Amino acid sequence: MFRALADPTRRAILDRLRRREHGVGALCEPFAMTQPAISQHLRVLSEAGLVRSRRQGRERIYSISPRPLRQAFDWLAHFESFWTDRLDALGDHLDDDP
Amino acid sequence: MKRDLRLERVYPHPPARVWRALTDRHELSKWLMETDFEPVLGHRFTFRAKPVPGWDGVTYCEVTELEPGRCVAYRWRGGPGPDRPPTLDTLVRFTLEPEGEGTRVILEHRGFSGLRAVLVSVMMRSGWAKMLRTKLPAVLDATR
Repeated sequence: MFRALADPTRRAILDRLRRREHGVGALCEPFAMTQPAISQHLRVLSEAGLVRSRRQGRERIYSISPRPLRQAFDWLAHFESFWTDRLDALGDHLDDDP
Repeated sequence: MKRDLRLERVYPHPPARVWRALTDRHELSKWLMETDFEPVLGHRFTFRAKPVPGWDGVTYCEVTELEPGRCVAYRWRGGPGPDRPPTLDTLVRFTLEPEGEGTRVILEHRGFSGLRAVLVSVMMRSGWAKMLRTKLPAVLDATR
């Protein structure tokens, strides 16, 4: 996700999507970039879970998906589940090899 | 705002056995993550997991506390890579207490309090000031 956020064009795309959803064509307008280039950025954002898309006729409409970002910074929740799993694994390990 | 994590478990195994699982690198590699840990104060080591975007899968650690048979603590740092500022700089401590025939394990993971400052500096450097002003504070507050 941080890799997806590292690129200024992708941050600008997210910033536009923060206000409302857009199709690829509309997203290209403020950037001096071709549609395939913007589509490539959207693919990276989509793989990072930062945007989602839906089909509308022949166009794909993109919108922001805030949940992964929220989760990424929710370290306590992340580590609570990580350590719970690991402590379970420790118990299994001790049982297997007492 | 909750900033520290504390979990407790009781295992039916004696403290000496649990201590070995916590301090032998081969045992640690089996139940926690692949590691080159040594039970030596000041020893620097890593835990290695599968990389994911934004994290190279490596946790950089240093033994900061060692009381054989009872307590081991290490600094626990991670982030996008070795040459980038860490997004996580915390402390993990395991404490063992005898409990009948078995062992109570207390796990503490602390130091999340400084995270806001670290995140803010990282996000600032990445130039995403607008996101920082709008979304990030809400996200951090929601973390309690």
